[in-house]
Amino acid sequence: MPHEQAEDTRVDWEGALVQRARTGDRRAFERLYREHAGRVYGLCLRMTRDPQLAEDCTQDTFINAWRALGKFETRSSLSTWLHRIAINVSLAKRRKSGRVESSPEEEEGAACEWTLETPVEVHEIESAIGELPEGARDALVLHALYGYSHIEAAHMLGIAEGTCKAQLHRARKLLRERLSVEVN
Amino acid sequence: MTEPSNTDRKVTSLRELPQSIEPPHDLWPGIEARLGAIPAAADGATPAQRRAVRMRWLAAAAMVACVAIGVWVGRGLLPGTAGSGVVAVNTNPPQAVQPPVNAVPHEVYVSDPRYQEQRAALVRGLQARLAALPPAERDKVTASLQAIEKAKADLEQALGHDPSNALLQELLVNTYQDEMRVLTDVHEASDPGRGI
Repeated sequence: MPHEQAEDTRVDWEGALVQRARTGDRRAFERLYREHAGRVYGLCLRMTRDPQLAEDCTQDTFINAWRALGKFETRSSLSTWLHRIAINVSLAKRRKSGRVESSPEEEEGAACEWTLETPVEVHEIESAIGELPEGARDALVLHALYGYSHIEAAHMLGIAEGTCKAQLHRARKLLRERLSVEVN
Repeated sequence: MTEPSNTDRKVTSLRELPQSIEPPHDLWPGIEARLGAIPAAADGATPAQRRAVRMRWLAAAAMVACVAIGVWVGRGLLPGTAGSGVVAVNTNPPQAVQPPVNAVPHEVYVSDPRYQEQRAALVRGLQARLAALPPAERDKVTASLQAIEKAKADLEQALGHDPSNALLQELLVNTYQDEMRVLTDVHEASDPGRGI
């Protein structure tokens, strides 16, 4: 089956599972969890840098999603909706743990492709991303890794678009320094 | 930080980094344990409102199952329609649905005699109980049952083409359960002092 058709069919099943979960069907909700847990955990881990905290955030994300399923509009992306919840949960956990840092001054941020001039090993990049300041890391993860636009990423993080661009600019600069490679 | 697999691989774009990282262990048991203390999304209403909401979602779920099955069958399983994008939709009322040629018998999935007896008892009194409902509620229940009936027929037909498909089997059993919920709701709603 061509990829496009398979994707369409998957989305149809997902809609059916969401509808069932809304009636209280936990088996349907478990299927949704199995489908999305990796992406949610990946995002939480990158935002918190703490595997245990990321597990807590992932669990809270799905608990909150279960509570709010009635508000989810099935025509929108479940993945994006779960990401929004995961980001809110992760930010709240970070605030609670006192790990809050101020945003930088807004500055001009260019549109980003995020390609590396020379190939770099995955673990090196992951490590460099992990060492970024929280604000810069959040914006980078959402924009460069998960493909959200400046506006979407800013909205998800609850910051101005200009601030998001500034954080990305900062992230690019720091990555360039830490990887010793040009980041375009 | 737990690193994704294949970490020695070299990449030239951040988009090549894995978006998905599996948790070190299964988090579902913990989530499921906590779900037990939380009302479902449709809860928080009076029993009558809750039944009405449930009825609406059951109908919607059945309709989505119909569409999903139609897409599934139309795209890949029916001879001559693979890849055509044509959605196979059966517009007959439920009583006119013909048994599909390759249908898998219900009994394969719902063979418990207690289920059969309970369902038969509920179906026997259905017409009388429907008559006792207000017209709007009666229409809603009838529409729900028709949607469920159609979902059952479509699922059985799809299973005839793909008998080992676990998701189809699960959806079929879920649809039977939905039907029982509707029948039980009608039974309860037509008791004095209760309403959908």
